[in-house]
Amino acid sequence: MSTNYNAEENWVLDSFDGAHLVVTGVTGFLGKVWLAMLLHYAPGIRRVTCLVRDRKDESAQERVRNAAETSPAFRAAREALGHTLLRRYDERVRVLSADLAVPGCGLDEKTIEGLSQDADVVLHFAGLTDFEPDPNTAVATNILGTAHVADLTARLKVPRLVHVSTCFVAGEASGDVAEEITTGISPNGTKCDPAAEIEGLRNDLAKLETRSERVAAANTRALRLGWPNIYTLTKGLGEHLIELRDDVRAITVRPAIVECAREYPFPGWNEGLNTSGPLVYLFSTSFRHFPARSDHRFDVIPVDTVARSMMLVAAAALRDEADDVYQLGSSAINPLTFRRAIELTNLGVRRMHAKSGESWKERVMLKNMDVIPIGADEEPPFSVGHIRRTAQATRDLIRKVNLKRDLPPTLYDKIGDKLNAKLKSWSMSCRNADRKMGRVQDMLRLYRPFIHDHDYAFCADRIQGLSDKLGDTERELFAYDVDSLDWRHYWLKVQVPGLEKWCLPTLDGGEIPQDDALPPAATQGTQAHKQAADTAAAE
Amino acid sequence: MTDHPSAAFYRVEGTLLARPTLAAAAYMAANAQGISKRIGRLSNVAAAAPFAFAGNLVTGSFGTRMLWAGLRGMSDDRVSVLAEEYYEEYVRDEVLDIGLELIRESRRRGQLVVLISDNIEPIIRPLADQLGADEVVCNHLEYKRGEATGRLADPVVGGGLAGQWANSFASERGLDLQNSCAYGAQASDGLLLSAIGQPCAVNPDRQLRRLATDHDWPILER
Repeated sequence: MSTNYNAEENWVLDSFDGAHLVVTGVTGFLGKVWLAMLLHYAPGIRRVTCLVRDRKDESAQERVRNAAETSPAFRAAREALGHTLLRRYDERVRVLSADLAVPGCGLDEKTIEGLSQDADVVLHFAGLTDFEPDPNTAVATNILGTAHVADLTARLKVPRLVHVSTCFVAGEASGDVAEEITTGISPNGTKCDPAAEIEGLRNDLAKLETRSERVAAANTRALRLGWPNIYTLTKGLGEHLIELRDDVRAITVRPAIVECAREYPFPGWNEGLNTSGPLVYLFSTSFRHFPARSDHRFDVIPVDTVARSMMLVAAAALRDEADDVYQLGSSAINPLTFRRAIELTNLGVRRMHAKSGESWKERVMLKNMDVIPIGADEEPPFSVGHIRRTAQATRDLIRKVNLKRDLPPTLYDKIGDKLNAKLKSWSMSCRNADRKMGRVQDMLRLYRPFIHDHDYAFCADRIQGLSDKLGDTERELFAYDVDSLDWRHYWLKVQVPGLEKWCLPTLDGGEIPQDDALPPAATQGTQAHKQAADTAAAE
Repeated sequence: MTDHPSAAFYRVEGTLLARPTLAAAAYMAANAQGISKRIGRLSNVAAAAPFAFAGNLVTGSFGTRMLWAGLRGMSDDRVSVLAEEYYEEYVRDEVLDIGLELIRESRRRGQLVVLISDNIEPIIRPLADQLGADEVVCNHLEYKRGEATGRLADPVVGGGLAGQWANSFASERGLDLQNSCAYGAQASDGLLLSAIGQPCAVNPDRQLRRLATDHDWPILER
């Protein structure tokens, strides 16, 4: 299907007027920003039904309502609309306790029947984004969850499903990546029956008891098909699965690496540990060699650009004018190379340390020894492998020391205890360094296909095409604006400070700070909101 | 430009800032990516120092060119960030009082304020914005594929050239050079000062002092 729109002033917002959307994954990083944007800019929306899992300590309804009240993702909407946002939320958003991993998404038949009569489109944001999760969980979320959402969509009068996947389902295919799905052909060209592959994978996993065995089995299957890890395997098979269905009009949206917001809800907003968070974290450790190909592209896209694009695609879906696949990336339009990303991260981390209290390590090591890109198989003197081996050898050496045997008794009596305590402390330091570097090695192994082995240019013509058709007012709100991204400004003023504030603290066990709730008058329940709104309207 | 019938030309180094351009080049070199690059770039600055100190009267623009040649291969991102750091740390709050007073006086007279510097644009541009200068003449690094080539774009700003440039600038803008002022501090500024109707030596070095005395130019010291 090709895009052919005439510029209309309210092409996006008119599409949402009176619409009923069913949405999964609204408690995720992207889902929250999108929901905030929807409630902020599209007051004409009639109903948003969110399928959300209950947590032990928080019901599905509380999870989403609390997010609207205090999550920084809703900050711009809260600041612009005040209590109107929460009134809009209460009037339009309905949260259903759901479990996508079970048939029917855990909804009863009556609820499904109700949705099937009324809903216009299903937006499936939910997904597991860990690169190496327990394969059982990945299958349950990324494959079965998607299948169950597709089953639900099939019951709709017009079964439209917008499915959020990832550009990296391209797997081993380097170079220009087109916006297409060739069902039954895996990234390395292997013919495969997605249903049979999924069945085979599930059978393999069912026989295995430990997580590591399951991970190994799933990785073997992924590599055979040309997907570098469990994440891309399960997302890829999920795409194939829904594309093969005749009873669903599937629209697949593939964002690249979703990172800090450029503008909405405010510059720098991020949540949890996304791809570049751990990598930036490494820059502030003793790690100085980054295994990446300098000229390869690092496809990063701000979360608000993705959320804007999801507004465009949802509008196109509601108008039955959407294409089959949309890729949301920067690599083909405004590429950022790893050489530049590493240089900018060095400069960003340098600024980060310049404003923090300078320890010896920060002053000498971090400020003066920049991280440099190297080949993944190179081992320069301060590489992770060398540091690990040195730590292990030093620990072995310390273990062999027997002060009681090696020192004269008089000297041992004098300083033996002190020295033993010192040796024990050094041994612990070596063990910690070894473990830490081991984790770094594991992480780099997972990232290697995306930062070293493959150089992707994800074509994003279709979303650009949608964006080009917007009128002036909506262009301000929803344009696909990757071409205007100034990487230096974004990386130094948005990305690194955003990660520093919203992500890196979680690596050290900290929590993401939430905003203050609106004043009591604006945060009471639905009835109170309605009364307040009625009063305001009467006035 | 009837609003600005005359201009005030300021050589930045000496009249507005005490630190020589060499300090900026050394700062950039000392903060290159990686230890070996730092050593190489700093060696280059050290080698250029005698030529830079000898001044453009002796070496033409060779000293200035050599000073910045050490940045060859440095990314424009790094140049930009280091320049911003240098400006914030060593320029913003270090403008000489006498320079500030002179600029205020120029403004009062309704003169166009023009800064001339052999430093590079990302350091001097924020200074010009800070001081409300109308024009800036400084050096520009050449870049290729996002990295400095080590060359300066022509024309390279130096003592002699500043005089020539002031002449052509004045004729382009229809300025009255006889009623314009020029402020310099180094011997290499002699040609600039002699090209302008109302020259003034500010905290001059020995050679410029002698020149100023010979030509009966006013000397300001503080």
